[in-house]
Amino acid sequence: MKLNLKNVNCLPTPTWNKLGVNGGIIDTEIPEIVPYTADVFPQTLPKCVEISDVMKTDIVFMDGDVDTGSGDSVREFVKKNHNTGFFIEIKAGTKVEEPIFLNLELDNQNPTLVDENTIVAEPGSNVTVVMRYTSKPGFNGFHAGMTRIYAKNDATVTLVQVQSLNETSLHFDDVGGTVFENGHVNLVQTEIGGSHASAAAHLKLMGRQSGVNIGNIYLGGNEESIDINYLVDHYGQKTDCEILARGALQDKSQKIFRGTIDFKRGSAGSKGREEEFAVLLDPTVRARSAPLILCEEEDVDGQHAASIGRIDENRLFYLMSRGLTEAEARKLIIEAQFTPILSRIPIASVREDLQTSIAGRLNTHG
Amino acid sequence: MSEQKKHVADIDRSMYDFKDKDTSKFKAHKGLTPEIIRKISAEKHDPAWMLDFRLKSLELYNKMPLPNWGPSLEDLDMDDITTYVQPDTKMKGNWKEVPDDIKNTFERLGIPKAERDSLAGVGAQYDSEVVYHNVKDEVTKQGVVYTDMESALTEHEDLIHEYFMKLVPPTDHKFIALHGAVWSGGSFVYVPEGVHVSIPLQSYFRLNAPGAGQFEHTLIIVEKNASLHFIEGCSAPKYNVTNLHAGCVELFVKEGAHLRYSTIENWSKNMMNLNTKRALIEKDASIEWVSGSFGSHVSMLYPMSILNGEGAHSEFTGITFAGKGQNLDTGTRVVHAAPHTYSTVNTKSISKDGGACIYRSGVEVRPNAYGSRSSVSCESLMLDAKSRSDTVPVMDIRNDDVDVGHEARIGRISEDSIFYLMARGLSEEDARALIVRGFAEPVAKELPLEYAVEMNNLIKLEMEGSIS
Repeated sequence: MKLNLKNVNCLPTPTWNKLGVNGGIIDTEIPEIVPYTADVFPQTLPKCVEISDVMKTDIVFMDGDVDTGSGDSVREFVKKNHNTGFFIEIKAGTKVEEPIFLNLELDNQNPTLVDENTIVAEPGSNVTVVMRYTSKPGFNGFHAGMTRIYAKNDATVTLVQVQSLNETSLHFDDVGGTVFENGHVNLVQTEIGGSHASAAAHLKLMGRQSGVNIGNIYLGGNEESIDINYLVDHYGQKTDCEILARGALQDKSQKIFRGTIDFKRGSAGSKGREEEFAVLLDPTVRARSAPLILCEEEDVDGQHAASIGRIDENRLFYLMSRGLTEAEARKLIIEAQFTPILSRIPIASVREDLQTSIAGRLNTHG
Repeated sequence: MSEQKKHVADIDRSMYDFKDKDTSKFKAHKGLTPEIIRKISAEKHDPAWMLDFRLKSLELYNKMPLPNWGPSLEDLDMDDITTYVQPDTKMKGNWKEVPDDIKNTFERLGIPKAERDSLAGVGAQYDSEVVYHNVKDEVTKQGVVYTDMESALTEHEDLIHEYFMKLVPPTDHKFIALHGAVWSGGSFVYVPEGVHVSIPLQSYFRLNAPGAGQFEHTLIIVEKNASLHFIEGCSAPKYNVTNLHAGCVELFVKEGAHLRYSTIENWSKNMMNLNTKRALIEKDASIEWVSGSFGSHVSMLYPMSILNGEGAHSEFTGITFAGKGQNLDTGTRVVHAAPHTYSTVNTKSISKDGGACIYRSGVEVRPNAYGSRSSVSCESLMLDAKSRSDTVPVMDIRNDDVDVGHEARIGRISEDSIFYLMARGLSEEDARALIVRGFAEPVAKELPLEYAVEMNNLIKLEMEGSIS
């Protein structure tokens, strides 16, 4: 079927059209969406968590107050075409000790995945959800997903989305959320595969002293394109946000990273920090970045920093003088680049899997 | 510490807000048709190719849409803008012969004084014509050409034909197409190979007639291993109808040459300042932009440097100050189009009293520009919670052998700094004023003295406190 999406991953304030970062159009052929039948939950779920399958129940989503990072067209596509999805509710005051894993795998039986998820963390609750998007090699898979997050007063939601699809699959991952007083959302998205990978989130800090941490790892290879759009709106007072991205590009891959911190009037005492470091490994890559800060409040502190370049020769030389080959030294430096984001993932096995897939995808040429 | 909310006074621009009786002998009809363009062209005795160029630009202008980004241009009604107002005076080489009312305007802006202060030449633009032009003998002796664009079109037609709107083609955007159709006045500077112009050349543009647009064209060619400092300043009286400024600046900096281009823009607050400036920098050449934006209702101003030759270098230093009713969208663009090219961008912005500063930039590194470096730093100061300050930078890197850095910061005056200064005996007002002046200092020190003084006057915000 034809996938035709307009205004995907738009900057909230457009700039010169020639730079091509204002937002995109997706116009491509995708496989017909067929029912998704794979088993998603590998574990028994704790009792304090209520999970409903959106395919089996009539759930009315509280959609009015959620904007997502990719925008209306992706969100509407997912709502209309979803073939799986879960409504996850954490009861008030409960701390879910074990992370909830969702294994979302694409294979020949399930080549398409359109998942629509909602995570509601009731006041004072705490949960970690890990969504793993993987695929078997050798077919053209398609994934488009949307996850809404509601972190109510004093609740903390940690959402880790790991994407390592095969090189011919398309991936759209879209998050929208609202954070209430003293609430906190930690979001980690990793884009290690897919011919085209889109990762986006739009989070609103509504409550006083609420916070958001976003971490992103991207690794582009071959002719892949990676398209990222993060927006954090500060409404409440003394709100806090941090957007951190670490990436590497090789071969003919390209990426666009957009990150916007928006201090709305009234968000006095808020802080926002945004940082992107990109390592470019081949002369044929293309890296575009648009780190925005929008501000209509005086009493705020907003900062962003970006650094794009090749591997530091001095560090390479140092490691080689300690006996590593150039290839080993390069690999070590690139892997180290991802550490600050990896360390935000609270589950050792997920970190290790990620490290393995990163190492597996890195070219070793000097 | 006093929690009292204090007020930063608006810049007192009454000294700029005087207007003379409108005595212009010819005014084009409102709205734009090929007939008007023909009339303008005939009036200016254009060569045939220039008339053609104007008509083609007009066609483009009529076809092109308004930009779909940037500040709102809804206050702009093109039909209301008289595009061409010729002052009732011929070119004058002697200050004494300039009509009194015009002279009066410039006297009050301090131009003859600036010239006395050893500036090389004064090209002061009154409405759309250069009315006074004087280049000091020593500069002319060096072979430097400094004249108005109309004279240049007669006396140096080949050069103009070769360079005019080649760097900023009328296809670029709607307002530059308009400029191509109706341009009038401006300065032409040609610095021959190896010549170093030791004193800055200055051009002071003014608008006077209500509703008149200003479409001056500045074309500067600095030949191999030559150097020049050019200063452009703008100030206009206040009028009630929307005024448009759509000028164009084209700078050609040849191999090993150096150009410093300084501007203080201080248009009145009804001005739409949609100006286009671009420089082409060849091998081992360099450009320094120093840009201050204080006036206008809406500005869209992004001087662009194209680093076209190996080892080319650009440096941009800018300050923007937006007060009540102002939406100043400023910044810069840099294109690294050759190996080992370097760029530095350093900007400051201050927003107060409901004003909006938008910093916008684009740094592009092309695939062949290996070994290039770029460093961008921008800082914004919010003086109250009614104002707005946005930072919209983009980087587009197409090669791995680069070092591109960007950093930005938005914030307010830190209470700690104020406390520290107050502990040293300063009043809160003085402490705040000192901090704001210190914030702007890196830009002020790049400006020529008389402009630094003007900027200090503009920033001297009778700061009876401020902020908090």
